[in-house]
Amino acid sequence: MSTVTEQAAEGRPAIDEPGPAAPRYQGSGILRQISVLSGRSLRVLRDPAMVLPGVLEPILMLTVFSQVFKSVSQTSAFPPGVSYIDFLLPAFLVTSAVSAGLKSGVALTTEMNNGIIARFRSMPIHTGSVLVGRSIADTALAGVNMLALLVAGALVFGFDPAGGFLGAAGCLAIAMALSWSLGWVFMAMSAWLRRPEALQPIGGILNLVLLFASNAFVPVEGLPGWLRTFASVNPMSQAITAARDLSMGEVDAGTLLAPLGICAVIVAITAPLAIRSFRRSA
Amino acid sequence: MKDGRTKDKHVDAVIEVAGLSKTFGSVAALDDVSLSVQKGSVLGLLGHNGAGKTTLVNILSTLLRPSRGRARVAGFDVVGDGVEVRRRIGLTGQYAAVDETLSGRDNLILIARLLGAGRAEAAARADELLEIFQLSDAARRRAKTYSGGMRRRLDLAASLVGRPDVLFLDEPTTGLDPVARRGLWQVVERLVKDGATVLLTTQYLDEADYLADSITVLAKGRIVASGTAEELKGRAGSRNVSVTLRTDEAVLRTTEVLRRSGLDPAPDDEDGLVLIVPVHDSTEIATVVRATDEAGADIAGLAYAEPTLDDVYMALNHSSAVR
Ligand SMILES: Nc1ncnc2c1ncn2[C@@H]1O[C@H](COP(=O)(O)OP(=O)(O)OP(=O)(O)O)[C@@H](O)[C@H]1O
Ligand SMILES: [Mg+2]
Repeated sequence: MSTVTEQAAEGRPAIDEPGPAAPRYQGSGILRQISVLSGRSLRVLRDPAMVLPGVLEPILMLTVFSQVFKSVSQTSAFPPGVSYIDFLLPAFLVTSAVSAGLKSGVALTTEMNNGIIARFRSMPIHTGSVLVGRSIADTALAGVNMLALLVAGALVFGFDPAGGFLGAAGCLAIAMALSWSLGWVFMAMSAWLRRPEALQPIGGILNLVLLFASNAFVPVEGLPGWLRTFASVNPMSQAITAARDLSMGEVDAGTLLAPLGICAVIVAITAPLAIRSFRRSA
Repeated sequence: MKDGRTKDKHVDAVIEVAGLSKTFGSVAALDDVSLSVQKGSVLGLLGHNGAGKTTLVNILSTLLRPSRGRARVAGFDVVGDGVEVRRRIGLTGQYAAVDETLSGRDNLILIARLLGAGRAEAAARADELLEIFQLSDAARRRAKTYSGGMRRRLDLAASLVGRPDVLFLDEPTTGLDPVARRGLWQVVERLVKDGATVLLTTQYLDEADYLADSITVLAKGRIVASGTAEELKGRAGSRNVSVTLRTDEAVLRTTEVLRRSGLDPAPDDEDGLVLIVPVHDSTEIATVVRATDEAGADIAGLAYAEPTLDDVYMALNHSSAVR
């Protein structure tokens, strides 16, 4: 060792100036941690290749669904005087929240496995900041995708809700709240399962059940008996009904606050669970 | 000094591990491991796959909780005072831990910001480290596009952002080319010279030999040997001078003279013209040369060999496998 140190010592700049010249950083507060970490996840917005698929996918799906299920609007169970796109788009916004939430969970397991999370956990920062930062960023990204869907709906598919701009904004709020709360559900699951390949199928099944056993694509009244019972208690149906009512202009405080409240309760339960099992897992 | 920091007799032991065990189900990844590392020194932790190296590093960097035993880093308990420990350590894990979606520079800025640096300060620190690790040219490229070696260097840079007192390096040079390995060794030496304490795991014996002040060999979670590289080499047997002569007669005469000077030469198994002379140190090379001269023998070849750490390692692992 000794000979080596001598040889390496000559003529190279010091890496670290010890002593007062280079004080150790003083650590950052939890708000700074959250803003830096959510900023990290939001950087994908600068990269069109990362943003476009997320924006295009729901629009593509909307195109398919609006053509395939158009005939539903001619059935008796369908509310009279409503165009199918006005019926479909609010539901579409809400359902896109499920895949957005799932994406959060999968991204978390991926990072837990590629080591960057281990680096954060070896640093003097709160474990919760990592999850809160991701939650904020992913909800914002979901909001961007949903906004794109609304704009495309209005420009291309003739989405013209009776509730007008405010109604559409209400839909967006509900959908974002749902993606925020489902994000925590999936992050809790991923902190617990820790492997993307375990999370994907569970999330996929949950996604399917929540989506199709709901009033998203057809009115509940049009479903067979047992499915109708499930669909009417499905929380997704609740959010979709609220979003529809808002876009149809049937706005009152309750319509908006009930689903937001449910989302808040879901987060209040799952966020501590997620943070706790995240802290434990290694 | 903050609460919980003890100043006892081991003032200079920056890493102290006592009776540490970790079990995963029925697997004992670590079994009653005790060691200590002095301030400003390098401990090399050697072991085969599954020996428990990563488990020890993870416990010391607070990523894992021990099943039994105690560990203190920079004076703080890794279980009770995890935050204080994390303020003082840098970790380069076995697998590079960088955000692939960010550029190398943004990775380092991210870490600096999280540690409390202001924007400008963070950028300056990032540029400084990129320079040291010769990543300046690739600074603004996404880490996803980096080669394995570049990623490893970025990872090491990231663990140095906060100027840690204690650095954990888990197989830092695995996958690096020889030039990059040397470069990394020099960086580590430099850090140690500036006062850092390093615990380094490796499967490369020459790496431990080169960098470490003391070496601990792990096998199946237990410490099977520890000491300086010299001490471990001492266990594997003596140093040898091997001298090649021209004739059988010269071999005989030289053997005789060497015996008289108190050495114990033996002919090589493979080549009868080669004499192997165990010696205590390199100064006895001269004795061997003088003996050939006295015997009037012509030297065709002369070599001096230290036992390599590989010899030690093989011997130890052989005995631990038998056990
Ligand atoms: N999370 C875990 N769950 C179960 N077993 C584990 C876990 N982590 C490590 N082990 C086991 O503990 C033992 C020690 O593993 P460890 O990763 O510490 O070895 P290592 O010396 O770092 O090996 P390598 O050189 O391959 O990196 C192995 O038998 C491993 O299978
Ligand atoms: Mg390992």
